[in-house]
Amino acid sequence: MLEIKNLHANVDGREILKGLDLTLPTGEVHAVMGPNGSGKSTLAYVLAGKEDYEVTAGTVTWNGEDLLAMDPTERAVAGVFLAFQYPMEIPGVATMTFLRTAVNSVRKARGEAELSTPDFLRFVREKAKALKIDPEMLKRPLNVGFSGGEKKRNEILQMALLEPSLCVLDETDSGLDIDAVRVVADGVNALRSPERSMLVITHYQRLLNYIVPDRVHVLSDGRVARSGGPELALELEDTGYAEFDGQAA
Amino acid sequence: MDLPVQQFRTKAEQDFLDLFTSAEKALPGARNEWVSGRRRKAIEAYGHLGLPHRRIEAWKYTDLRARVSEAHPLLLATGLAVAAADIEQAFGAKIAGLPAYRLVMVEGELRADLSDLAGLKASGVEAISLAQALEKPPAWLKASLGAINPRADDPVLALNTALMTGGIALRVGKDVTLDKPLHLIQLDGKGDPASAYIRNVVVAEPGSAATLLESFGSLGMKGLQRNAVTEVLVADKAAIDHIKLQLEVEDALHLTTWLIKLGADARYNAFVVSLGALLARNQIYAQFTGEHAAANISGVTMQRGRQHCDTTILVEHLVPHCNTRELLKVVLDDEARGIFQGKIVVAPGAQKTDSKQMANALLLSEGAEFDSKPELEIFADDVVCGHGSTSGQIDEDLLFYLEARGIPEEEARALLIQAFVGEAFESVGNEALRDAFAAASAEWLGVDFD
Repeated sequence: MLEIKNLHANVDGREILKGLDLTLPTGEVHAVMGPNGSGKSTLAYVLAGKEDYEVTAGTVTWNGEDLLAMDPTERAVAGVFLAFQYPMEIPGVATMTFLRTAVNSVRKARGEAELSTPDFLRFVREKAKALKIDPEMLKRPLNVGFSGGEKKRNEILQMALLEPSLCVLDETDSGLDIDAVRVVADGVNALRSPERSMLVITHYQRLLNYIVPDRVHVLSDGRVARSGGPELALELEDTGYAEFDGQAA
Repeated sequence: MDLPVQQFRTKAEQDFLDLFTSAEKALPGARNEWVSGRRRKAIEAYGHLGLPHRRIEAWKYTDLRARVSEAHPLLLATGLAVAAADIEQAFGAKIAGLPAYRLVMVEGELRADLSDLAGLKASGVEAISLAQALEKPPAWLKASLGAINPRADDPVLALNTALMTGGIALRVGKDVTLDKPLHLIQLDGKGDPASAYIRNVVVAEPGSAATLLESFGSLGMKGLQRNAVTEVLVADKAAIDHIKLQLEVEDALHLTTWLIKLGADARYNAFVVSLGALLARNQIYAQFTGEHAAANISGVTMQRGRQHCDTTILVEHLVPHCNTRELLKVVLDDEARGIFQGKIVVAPGAQKTDSKQMANALLLSEGAEFDSKPELEIFADDVVCGHGSTSGQIDEDLLFYLEARGIPEEEARALLIQAFVGEAFESVGNEALRDAFAAASAEWLGVDFD
């Protein structure tokens, strides 16, 4: 279970999160929605441990462990996975090398045996196929020259390979056409399980037609302004964020 | 009124003159007038020039007069036993195991017992030890030695000509395409501090193609002073890949000068990997003398501690329609210093010249320093010449991305550094060599991504 209590965080000295409370039980999928600037992406980065996101107050625990005390690598090993809104391009690092290094680093740190090259290749091919990822793509430098859809599918592939227990998806639908959204959503849904929690951050309700959440939280001005069932997302589709924008201003 | 001019010389400057005086009679070719005449002319030129220092623009960042305090005696061949394991120890398994025609030089001496001279001969390459060739230089060597791209103003080159003792003279026959790289392995000795003056001459006849790899490694000698010169004539339609791997012992002085001349439609791809030595300078002089030729001069420098590595390139476009590409990737840690000086000269009439220079440095510590000086001298009006230089640190956003995937910070940094230098390695045509270089840089980083 993820428990966020009274979380305050600064970016470049400016307070973005201002006392955020959120509880995500194991096995559930919660959506985090909200207008631009409400703190959605900041929450994602704080959970993953990005250096320049300074937590000034509050606690975050994951299955009882203090997440904020861990460095990003330790969080990944503990099961936290952030699907980036803007995945990084790294020329000179083959996607396959990156995937194998990541998978084996995590396995090693979790006390599991590292995968041999043939075993790893089988593992990747199987997961890639489900996400309609061309194996040729994996030979290319990481995310370099990938389309928006390819980058996001590559994120979900990493999620499938690292087998996290807490998935944070930061605007995974942004910049995708409807077919690409469907492929990505299918990939995410395939990973839903009673042992895995997911936080789906999105500006638009559209993604939630495909990834149906158990709960929806609306952020405004660095706090959760409202929580409800999946119907809350539909309501926002009609009314927009005007009500919450007012609070943010 | 004429006053007698008394030139001030440092101890080291005088040392080199004395070294020549004491060694002259025993140097290879001492009884050959052509050879000894060249040597005397060269030492005279050195005597006038002295050791280069920071007030000479080309040596601004590498002050040999200040850094070299003495000249070590000449390295003498002792017939040192060298086993396959020693070569593997010096260069790593991938380089030692590279399928190639091997020419092994130990203590400055070409070792027939470790070299594949017969294989080379069968493939259409004439190879003779320089020491032997200097006793009675063949006509083709007389036409090339010191004549391919002469540089009268370079004291380091002059010292080499005066004192050259070992090396190899190679002639790749007309239209011969060598099926494996020619691997020139240069090892020091095991004894007291000494100096090695190596001179290689390569004549690639028209239409020929070969890869020449020069690997410099150590058997554990202390205080090596190496001055190595390789002259390469790339005749019309010939193609030479000229690659260097420098893993010299960590207190070595390593000075190399490559003198290149390209004919029409010639291709020359140089790649210099510099990891070793305390003070290193890679000088590359290339000259286009025939149209539609192309040169790519690239490299990777990785230095730490108090290492200093200077890469200085001068390319002269004397004729139209030639291309130059330069890409240097430099990684510096601790107090290490990296230097790139790249000068491109476009002579009057050398229209349609197309040249690009780029140097990128990655500084891993506050104390590291990179000096970059690209220069263009253009006397033609229809040319495309570009240059750029960057220096920066590891991108924290990229680092976070890797860490967020569970890759430990040190490994993530190493992966990013590997990626940084990897872009340059991509220009190496030979796949086995590319792998070997990636392995050498991974070893430098202390990681293994295989």
